[in-house]
Amino acid sequence: MVLPYPRIRRTYFNIALMLLLGVAAALLAWHHLGGGIGPFPAEWNLGLRQPMDDFKVWAIGNRNSHPIFLYFFTPLSRLIDSSLRQVEAFLLWLPWPVLAAAIFLTAYRVANGGTALVTTGCLLLMGFTGYWRQSMQTLALMLIAVLIALLIGIPLGILSSRSDRLEKGLRPLLDAMQTMPAFVYLIPVLLLFGVARVPSVIATVIYALPPAIRLTNLGLRQVSAEALEAAQAFGSTPRQMLFKVQLPMALPTIMAGVNQTIMMALSIVVIAALIGGGGLGELVLQALRTLRVGRALEAGLAIVFMAILLDRLSDALARLDVTGRPPRTEPFRLASRWQGVGWASHVERAGQKFVRTGDRMMGWASRFTAHPYGLLSACFLLLLLLVSLLAGWQTFPPAWKIGLEGVTDNAVRWAQVHLYNIGGRGWGTGPFSDWLTLQVLNPLRSFLTVGLPWPVLILLVAAAGLALSGWRLAVGSGVGLLLLGFLGMWNASMDTLSQVIVAVLLAVLLGVPVGIAAARHPSLERGLRPLLDFLQTIPSFVYLVPVIMLFNLGRVPGIIASVLYALPPTIRLTTLGLKQVDAAATEAARAFGSTTWQSLRKVELPLALPSIMAGINQTIMMVLSMVIIAGLVGSSGLGIEVVTGLARNQLGLGVESGLAIVILAIIIDRLAQATVQRYQQAMNLSQG
Amino acid sequence: MMEPTPAPKIECRHLWKLFGPDPERVRPLLTQGVSKTDILTQTGHVVAVQDVSFAVRPGELFVVMGLSGSGKSTLVRCLSRLIEPTEGEIWVDGVDVMKMDAAALRQLRRHQMSMVFQRFGLFPHRRVLENVAYGLEVQGMEKATRLKKAQELLDLVGLAGWGHKYPHELSGGMQQRVGLARALAVDPHILLCDEPFSALDPLIRREMQDELIRLQKMMHKTIIFITHDFLEAVKLGDRIAIMKDGVFVQVGTPQEIVSQPADSYVREFTKDVPRVKVLTARDVMRPRTPFPPNGYSPTCPPSLTLESLIPLVMDHDDLCLVLDEDALCIGELDRTLVMQAMVGG
Repeated sequence: MVLPYPRIRRTYFNIALMLLLGVAAALLAWHHLGGGIGPFPAEWNLGLRQPMDDFKVWAIGNRNSHPIFLYFFTPLSRLIDSSLRQVEAFLLWLPWPVLAAAIFLTAYRVANGGTALVTTGCLLLMGFTGYWRQSMQTLALMLIAVLIALLIGIPLGILSSRSDRLEKGLRPLLDAMQTMPAFVYLIPVLLLFGVARVPSVIATVIYALPPAIRLTNLGLRQVSAEALEAAQAFGSTPRQMLFKVQLPMALPTIMAGVNQTIMMALSIVVIAALIGGGGLGELVLQALRTLRVGRALEAGLAIVFMAILLDRLSDALARLDVTGRPPRTEPFRLASRWQGVGWASHVERAGQKFVRTGDRMMGWASRFTAHPYGLLSACFLLLLLLVSLLAGWQTFPPAWKIGLEGVTDNAVRWAQVHLYNIGGRGWGTGPFSDWLTLQVLNPLRSFLTVGLPWPVLILLVAAAGLALSGWRLAVGSGVGLLLLGFLGMWNASMDTLSQVIVAVLLAVLLGVPVGIAAARHPSLERGLRPLLDFLQTIPSFVYLVPVIMLFNLGRVPGIIASVLYALPPTIRLTTLGLKQVDAAATEAARAFGSTTWQSLRKVELPLALPSIMAGINQTIMMVLSMVIIAGLVGSSGLGIEVVTGLARNQLGLGVESGLAIVILAIIIDRLAQATVQRYQQAMNLSQG
Repeated sequence: MMEPTPAPKIECRHLWKLFGPDPERVRPLLTQGVSKTDILTQTGHVVAVQDVSFAVRPGELFVVMGLSGSGKSTLVRCLSRLIEPTEGEIWVDGVDVMKMDAAALRQLRRHQMSMVFQRFGLFPHRRVLENVAYGLEVQGMEKATRLKKAQELLDLVGLAGWGHKYPHELSGGMQQRVGLARALAVDPHILLCDEPFSALDPLIRREMQDELIRLQKMMHKTIIFITHDFLEAVKLGDRIAIMKDGVFVQVGTPQEIVSQPADSYVREFTKDVPRVKVLTARDVMRPRTPFPPNGYSPTCPPSLTLESLIPLVMDHDDLCLVLDEDALCIGELDRTLVMQAMVGG
């Protein structure tokens, strides 16, 4: 496909591009012919480390005296801390059968019997992992963090739906919050809110805030103009418009934002554990650090179950009809789905009997109240609470733990013996890991650091920016790369970049063909859907657990985990792009006697390219965040620098590497987005 | 038409509406008689409503008829300042709407002017009854009272048993009945209807037109009715304004417009009109200075339509005399006149 020129004069564009490439080539030649351009000059370091460390000393020294701590950060921290403690104490006191029943009844009300079974099942499975206490701690942290995020996010969303200026002003901030790895603000947050688990609550809030703002704003802006005009024509005040028309109509979108907020919050529990989040995250973190895979798996599973539970429940809330009524709740229908399973029909009959009894009681209760379901549920829960307290059922019985640690550790040992180097014939995950490290990652890293001297790389990236978008991107990405050097993070950044490149290539090589296949075979797409949903629901670091079983520590498990984590968008958007190709175009290709392969290569793929590129863009960003997280399992590059900064309490190092991550993320994201836009423009031109 | 004109319920004087980046800047040009095309080419502003003036009597059903883009929907929104007019005056019951502050404007919209929308504008998240009660709710009326009132209105528009449904569960015609009930629930003096029946099927549309006529006979609201359908305008309107490119081309009773179209543009619309149903004895008669009739010629009232006149003139060879309320003959008719009128002569 021929891409149109960016919006600058063609002659200037050519001259500038030639100049950049020419200088780059000359420098490269000089470098390799013995000129030797050294590493990025250390004396150009901005020296952020010292002031940062000074700030840390100041913050610690003034925590009990400076007014900003005395009157703002400390009281705020105390408030959050005490509410967190209370919620936690309540959840730990609350008998588990009551919590299970409450979840069942809520899910049954807002969704259906199936969702009720799944969510309650997830809660019980959390219990069976044996980490009830830690689960409740994490749940309390989630509840408080999500509550704060919503208390800030929904009003901000409302305000930005009413002011274009505020929306425009917030957008880059929210972009930055979403691209920025959470590591970056962990340390400042730790210094400012240094009370117990408060820093991890704040970090979670920062991370989870954007969707609440975005989707509230979006939902309110999508309210139909007609409804608004009608409300106005009847003389509604702005407040009446908001509460009687806009908010109720935007509710489904706002609830979708709540769902995303919850999922984002859950996805950083392990990172939050780095600054004392406690709970399940702490367990996973410790287990990963001490290589106790079985234990990491147990705690990781508990997080996955919590993720599924919260996702299904909040998703059901988001799907509620605007009319406020759930889709008709169906009595249990197991037998129709599981025909031939003998006990299914018995369960079904019992379930239906149960439902009918419930209906009868509802009819009875409706004589006394407008909300028979709520009243009956409350009565039932109260009764259950009394019984549980009398019987002493509070914490999930530890004896019911289904221990996976032994089994897993055996499996790991088995895998290490049998898969690591299958039959001693030189292939298996171990040799693969070595091969990837020695033959791909190391050469690429040394190419980026030594083979391609830093000025050449900067010039090349600037040239790419120029060709893709224009001056702004060229200058922006060039300056960004320079900054990486000024921060003293050039080599670490190149290390991270080499891992990102390899992981993205693997993800694309795997994802695009699978996406193509899924577009051609609807049955494959249907089969993949639950798998992809699952991959996108579970928090990213969970991927690390099985992967380090097979690939040991180092860079490779990080890359494998990144590929797994980042695969769904590539597959999904490839399939989507291909399915959206105009049927007339493929029909025309067939009419001219193209083979399937020709039609795919010459017509469908080019037309689907913008969508595929958008998928790859998402994949790149997800890979980057995962490669950083892999610093936890001994990867190298920027991730390990941040982790070291946190672990050894070196604020300067943490901030420098955190900033480098942000800059790298922004450069890569802008370049990838410019590529997507160029392809989209090209399509529009060729269609228009 | 002959009776002394009462004070107008709504009066618009020299109303302008410009769309564009900075209408304020262009405003001085308007009074200098600069043409619409010049305003567009020189300033980039589109003139949606151009110097429109009219007055509507209490209880009158005033139709503004125009094709899409003629500015009629903008005009009706200017009346309650849902769209802010660029220039001009709007008087409702002798009060200048343009001078009202936000609170006064809200009171006007809450109590005096109601609106019915082309695509109904119902609130999808509220039950039908709550939709009808919305205007009363924002007035601050107590719940039981407003729901009772809303129920009365639902009964009136023939949707007695539908209050607990949601709008999407109703057919288009029923939804617009809800829209009508919602507008009437606040007991407004003035009803603004923005193409209320355009989105409906032809049969339902006719049914709704009859419904509006029925309601209007009971309630005598002052109605401004927007439509692009000339036949609808003729059927409903006491008077019709034909609007084209932001200007009123002609204002008159249906009969006046059908019998004396102002220009070829208006004439095009009148072609489809069944003239026998619109024209009356008054429109086609040869006027005479009033005199007492002789007593043996056939007579008819001035409001008799041609449809009913035809048998009369066919049965009698004599002139037919048109008598006013005082039984004075104000004009005469014969077969030739009637036939000329029928073919549009």
